[in-house]
Amino acid sequence: MYFLLRFCTGTLAALLLAANSQAAIPTLTVYTYDSFTSEWGPGPQVKKAFEAQCGCKLDLIGLEDGVAMLNRLRLEGENTRADILLGIDTSLTAEARATGLFEAHGLKLESSSLPRPWNDELFLPYDYGYFAFVYNRERLAVPPQSLRQLVEDEQGPTILIQDPRTSTPGLGLLLWIRKVYGDRASDAWARLSPRIVTVSKGWSEAYGLFLKNEADMVLSYTTSPAYHLIAEQDDRFAAAPFSEGHYQQIEVAGMLHGSRQKKLAREFLEFMLGEDFQRIIPTTNWMYPAALPSASLPPEFTQLIDPGVTLLFDDEQVAKHRKIWVDEWLEVMSR
Amino acid sequence: MNSRALPAGLVLVLLAILVVAPLVGLVNLGGLPGYQPDDLQFWQSAYIRRVLSFSLWQALLSTLCSVLPAILVARAFALQPSFALRAFLLRLFALPLVVPAVVAVMGIVSVYGSDGWIPLGRSLYGLNGILLAHAFFNLPLAVRLLLPLWQTIPQSHWQLAEQLGMNAWQRWRFLEWPALREGLPGVVLLIFMLCLTSFAVVLTLGGGPRSTTLEVAIYQSLRFDFDPVRAVVLALLQLALCVLVATLTFRMQRLPEVEISIDPVTHDDCRGHKPANLVLILLATLFVATPMISMLVDALTGPVLAVLGSVALWQSVANTLFIGLTAASLAVVAGWFLLRYSASLALAGQPGRARVVDLAGSIIYVVPPLVIGTGTFVLLSAHVDVFTWIYPIVITINALMGLPFVIRSLGPAMRQNHARYHLLCQSLALEGWNRFRYVEWPLLRRPLGLATALAAALAMGDLGVIALFGTPATATLTLLIYQQLGAYLIPSATVTAILLLLLCLSVFWLLERGIGGRFDA
Repeated sequence: MYFLLRFCTGTLAALLLAANSQAAIPTLTVYTYDSFTSEWGPGPQVKKAFEAQCGCKLDLIGLEDGVAMLNRLRLEGENTRADILLGIDTSLTAEARATGLFEAHGLKLESSSLPRPWNDELFLPYDYGYFAFVYNRERLAVPPQSLRQLVEDEQGPTILIQDPRTSTPGLGLLLWIRKVYGDRASDAWARLSPRIVTVSKGWSEAYGLFLKNEADMVLSYTTSPAYHLIAEQDDRFAAAPFSEGHYQQIEVAGMLHGSRQKKLAREFLEFMLGEDFQRIIPTTNWMYPAALPSASLPPEFTQLIDPGVTLLFDDEQVAKHRKIWVDEWLEVMSR
Repeated sequence: MNSRALPAGLVLVLLAILVVAPLVGLVNLGGLPGYQPDDLQFWQSAYIRRVLSFSLWQALLSTLCSVLPAILVARAFALQPSFALRAFLLRLFALPLVVPAVVAVMGIVSVYGSDGWIPLGRSLYGLNGILLAHAFFNLPLAVRLLLPLWQTIPQSHWQLAEQLGMNAWQRWRFLEWPALREGLPGVVLLIFMLCLTSFAVVLTLGGGPRSTTLEVAIYQSLRFDFDPVRAVVLALLQLALCVLVATLTFRMQRLPEVEISIDPVTHDDCRGHKPANLVLILLATLFVATPMISMLVDALTGPVLAVLGSVALWQSVANTLFIGLTAASLAVVAGWFLLRYSASLALAGQPGRARVVDLAGSIIYVVPPLVIGTGTFVLLSAHVDVFTWIYPIVITINALMGLPFVIRSLGPAMRQNHARYHLLCQSLALEGWNRFRYVEWPLLRRPLGLATALAAALAMGDLGVIALFGTPATATLTLLIYQQLGAYLIPSATVTAILLLLLCLSVFWLLERGIGGRFDA
C-alpha cells in the first residue's frame, strides 16, 4: 500500500510546485532546443542578462531540437504559450512560415555580421555556422581539399555522418552535396557510401564515435575546433577547408502571433541582436554570432578556417524538395 | 472471482484508454496548420517493405542471440547456487537495462571499436554491432528473468532424479525444460519487443539507413515529416507484429502439469562446483561487464569533481529517483491486479483468457512513447496547462513501459502461488489484506522485489518521455547526459552515466533486499 501513498504524495508535491511558479511579474516564454537551455549552453547567461534589464521573468523551455519545437507549435496552434521560438534554422523557416503562427518582428538587423544580406520579415538570425568535416591532425596528415575529392577518392578517409531524417547536420550534408552535385547527388552518395563508417541519429553519437577514433573524419562545424582550443587547450583538431565552399546554417528566432507579451517579445529580439547576448554565443553555442564584429570574437576563432564561398539553398526550395531528396538518399544508401 | 475481475478490469480499461486515446488524438489532427495528409500509398513503397523485413529480421536474430546463451548462463547460475559474488553478479546483470542507448554504444565501441580491447574494426558496424549491442542489453535481463524458473523445480524432483541416476541431459529433458516452458515464451516475447523497438543503437551501430527499423520510421513520420496518421498506422503495424509473435511463442507454452513447490531451499547438495558452469558464468560476466568497466575507466579519468559539484546534477538525481520510484510503484500495483486476475483465470481452466490478460499488459510496450506522449499532449493541451502535468504524465507513461517487466518477473510465481494456495485460502476464508499478509507477501516478496527493481531501473534510465515535454525544471540524469554530449562534454557525460549506473545499482539493491528479503537471488 505504501507504494500508492508514495505516488500520491509525490504527485501532489509536483503539482504544488508547479502551481507556485506562477508569479505576478510578466513572463516571457521562449521555446528553444535543450542544448541552448542546458547548464553549458547560452541559456543561463542569457536569462540572467535579460531579466536584469526587462523586469520580467524569462522562461526558456528546452525541447529536443528545431523540428520538435516546430511540431510543438503545430500541435498547440494559436493556443501556444510560447511568445518566441528560438533555434530553428533556415532549412525549416519556410515550413515555420507556412504555419501562419508567426508575426512580423518589425526590427532591422543593423550590425549584421552575416556573410549575406538578411531581409526576412518574420525571423531574425542570432548565430550561424558552416558544416565541415573535422579531423585529428595527428591521425590524418593530408585531409581532402574539396568535397569532390572526399566523395571521389576511393582511397580517401573514412567518415562518420548523421542521418538527415533525424539530425540537422545530417540534412546539412545532404543539401551540401546537392548544391555541389546537383541532379547527380545520388551518384555522389553511391561513391561516398563505402567510406561511411556509420550514420548516427544525432550529432552527439557521431562526434563521440569520432573522439573514440572510429573514423578519420566526422561531419560537424567549422567552429568545432574552437571548443577544443578554448575549453581543452587542445589544438589537434581541425576542420578541412573544401574548395567548393561550405554549406551554411543560420539559426533564427521569431515571435508568435498569439503572444500576449508582444512588447516584451520585441524587446527580447532586440536584446538578442545586442552585444550582451551576442558575446555569450561563441563559447556556449560554439557558433558565429550574427551581429557581432569579428574583432569582438574570442582570439581562438581567428585560427578557424575561412569557409570561402558560402552555400545555402533558399528556404522555400528546401521545403519543396526535402522529402524527395531524403527519399532519394534513402534509396541510394539502402542498396 | 469477481473481486479479482474488478480491479483487473479497471487496470485494463485504464491501459486501453492510455493507449487508444492518444492514437485517436493523433489521427484527429487533420486540420492542423501545415499538415498535408499523406495518401496512404506508402504501403506500396519498397522503403516500408524493407523497413518491415529488416525490423523483423534483426529483432528475431537479436532475440535468439540473447535468449539462447541466456538459458545456458541462467542454468549455470541455477546449478551453482552458492559462490562468492553470485548475488553481486546477478545485480550487475540488471544494469545494462538502464544504460542510455548512446552511452551503451560508447561503451561497446570502447571494447570492440578500432581502438578497443577486442577490435572488430569496420565489421562492428552492421548486423554484428546491432546483435552485439542487443545481446549486451538483453542477455543479462533474460538471465534474471529465467533464473527463477529453476527455483520452481521442487527439491524432491532433484532427489528423485538423483536416485534414478539421471544424467545431465535427462535432468534437462525431464526436469528443467518442462519448468522453462512456462516462462520462456513470455521472456522471448519481451526481448523481441525490446529489440524490435530499438532505435538509437540500430541507427548508430547499424552502419546506415539499410538498418532502419519501424521505430525509426515512426519517429520520422511523427517528427520529420509531421504525418501523425502515418505514425499511428506504423505504430499499429508494430503492435500487430508483436501480437503475431506472441501468438507464435505462446503456442510452445505449456503450463507445468506437476504439483508446484515454492521451496526456498537451495539444492547444491548433489552437484558440486562444475568448472563448465563457472566458465560460462565468467564469460557472460566478462561480456556484460567489459563495456561498463570501460565506461568506468573513462569516467574515473574524467572531470569527476566538476560533475559532482554541480547543483543541476543533484536536482536531476532527485528527479530521476522520484520518477523511477513512483513509476515502479504504479507499475507494480497495476501488474499485481492484472496477474492476480490472470492467475485465477488460469486456475479456472481458462489459460487462453489468462494469456490475453498478460499480453494486454505487456504489449503496450511496443507503442512508442513518442506516439503515446505526443497523443497525450494533443488531448490534454487544449484543456489544461500540460507543463503543470509533466510529472504525472511522465510517471504514468514510464509505469506503462515498466508493466511488461513486472508481468514477466512476477507472473509465474503468482500463478504458482495461486494454484497451490487458492483452495486452501478459500477453505480458510482468507481474503483481501489477510491473504496478502499471510499467504502472498511471504511467498511472492522475492519476485515482487525483482519486479519493482526492474521497473524502477527502467524508468530511471528512460529518456524518451521526459525529453518530449521538456522544461528547465524537470531534467533527469538521462536528459543531463544527452545535454552534456550535445555540448562537447563527452567526459562529463561518461561521469554522469556512471553515476546513473551506481544510483540504479543501489536502488536495485535496496528494492530487491527491502522488498524481497534476504534471499540469494
